[in-house]
Amino acid sequence: MTTTKPTMIEFRDVHKYYGDYHALRGISATIRAGEFFSLLGPSGCGKTTLLRTIAGFEGIDTGVVLIDRKDMARVPANERPTNMVFQSYAIFPHMSVEENVGFGLRRDPRTKTEKQAAVEEALAMVGLKGFGKRAAHALSGGQRQRVALARALILKPKVLLLDEPLSALDKKMREHMQVELIKLQRQVGITFVLVTHDQEEALVMSDRIAVMFDGEIAQLADPETLYRRPNSKKVADFIGTMNFIPATVLGESGGRIEIEAKGLGRVELMAEQCPAGRGDAPMVGLRPETLTLLYPGQTSTERTVAGVIDEVIYFGDMTYYDVYLGGTDVEVRLSMRNVPGRLIMDVGTSVDVAWSPEALVLFR
Amino acid sequence: MAKAKSGLGRSEKASGLLMISPTALYAVLLLAAPLGTVLVYSLVSGKGGNIVWDFGLQNYIEVWTGPVYRAIMLRSLIVSLSVTVVTVLIAYPIAYFVSFYVPPEKKSLWLFLITIPFWTSYLIRVFLWKVILGYNGVINSGLMSVGVIDAPLTWINYNIGALVMTLAHAYAPFAILPIFVSLEKIDRSLLEAGQDLGESKLMTFLRVTLPLSMGGVIAAVLIVFIPTIGDYVTPDLIGGGKLPMIANMMEVQMLKINNKPLGSAIAVSAMAIVAVISVLFVLANRRFLGPQK
Repeated sequence: MTTTKPTMIEFRDVHKYYGDYHALRGISATIRAGEFFSLLGPSGCGKTTLLRTIAGFEGIDTGVVLIDRKDMARVPANERPTNMVFQSYAIFPHMSVEENVGFGLRRDPRTKTEKQAAVEEALAMVGLKGFGKRAAHALSGGQRQRVALARALILKPKVLLLDEPLSALDKKMREHMQVELIKLQRQVGITFVLVTHDQEEALVMSDRIAVMFDGEIAQLADPETLYRRPNSKKVADFIGTMNFIPATVLGESGGRIEIEAKGLGRVELMAEQCPAGRGDAPMVGLRPETLTLLYPGQTSTERTVAGVIDEVIYFGDMTYYDVYLGGTDVEVRLSMRNVPGRLIMDVGTSVDVAWSPEALVLFR
Repeated sequence: MAKAKSGLGRSEKASGLLMISPTALYAVLLLAAPLGTVLVYSLVSGKGGNIVWDFGLQNYIEVWTGPVYRAIMLRSLIVSLSVTVVTVLIAYPIAYFVSFYVPPEKKSLWLFLITIPFWTSYLIRVFLWKVILGYNGVINSGLMSVGVIDAPLTWINYNIGALVMTLAHAYAPFAILPIFVSLEKIDRSLLEAGQDLGESKLMTFLRVTLPLSMGGVIAAVLIVFIPTIGDYVTPDLIGGGKLPMIANMMEVQMLKINNKPLGSAIAVSAMAIVAVISVLFVLANRRFLGPQK
């Protein structure tokens, strides 16, 4: 992974107020050229507002937004090198598909034939070849989205902004479009900034993700770091599933921290497993897939702990087990792949659970 | 099964007909019957207050070739077209302002305020304009008392301009409401999309907002144009009897000269003109009236 890519967008201590409401609270971040960047967070966290400050639809109260090293403070939306795919797609209902796609070409100095060719090329790129003459209102949700993409990409923007573009599609279509968008982004090489509340979508599509809560960026990292080493309990909870187990810190020495986790016993953690403290009650986090259920007769080289199955949730490809650890009231959820020959265990069975200290994250 | 269904359908149809029958009866008696009578009258001759049953187009020939009738019809057309243009041009910015700049919770209040002129009768509103614009009216006596002018202005009263102003004021709310509704239906993200794709606010208005609100504009044009061409009170009061329009001519023929056939021919001709112009206007704008979602 190269980190030498130039900066495309830079936020410097950006604040935004709606009346008394502090919508953006000191955003500082950089988005690199050619990157697929996601703004992820629950509704009302300010991710859409931040996207709209890039597009120029929202002013900011203090701070600086730079696109391609230029201050955007006095640049109106229609002069910014950005284009947006709106959540509602905003397809012009009084125009045909090709009129929609060619909307932004009015002042383009090219000839009519060249523009027509550009429109057809853009439609082919999003898989809508031959749809040009259709009326915009006769399109399905997925087709509208493709038109919105073609309409934005035809202008060759430096940044493409996507405001929850997949949220209106059904699950199958959404997963299909996720892959298409990734391919499209690699093909055109434009910086994509995606707003989403769907953590899975962000993990699948992004090079880097900024997780936002209450108008602040809680963590900005690549998907793997975000998933494996969340820097706070809140981020860990928002991204995927995580078990939280109460713990006590016994001592720190030479970059190693010794803790006692309820049900798991004494564990020694590396410094990178312990993000900076926030003054919360210490907890260790453990993802369900890092725990393994040992079937009778199986052994493990990892540490093991005895437990009792409390709940079995069957998911087809996976089974989730809720297990009480080591005779305590600590319950963890673990996931097992349903491979042939592996039986589903019953509620109440006593089992051993294998786990590895490297998979732990300490929040304190 | 099918039989039962059709039986049900018939009874539903019957009860539907029963429900609309009072209105239908009313419409037939008070709309279709008089209209038929007028049509029949327009094809016979009136001689000295009596009717001669000689069916023919003689009245129409007189109406369409007589210079007086032609001049009056032309004046009616000019007045109602001017009123339509002026009213829509005044109504559009008001509707636009209420739709785009008034906060949502205050919109009903604004619409309510716009309809307040309807609380006063049309006749009184027209008469008020006479008071304002008249020879000894508010403007003239006001300007004279402060010494701006020595003699009353005559160009503000008893002319087509005064007629247009009065009618435009009376019909403005009728034009504001349909335009407002069509503007309200426009998805605001479309306007952001217009700017996002590189167009200024003005160009976005011309390329997105205006075409999407044309449905309301067309409705406003028809609502204003159709009744104003036959307006009777305003030319009488504001025009001081010097600027008769079609309706005043009908009154003269029907009631004063008692030539009902000629009056009927004028009425049918006026209806035909309105119908033809309205249909042509709608056809010219039909691309704005397609399905839009």
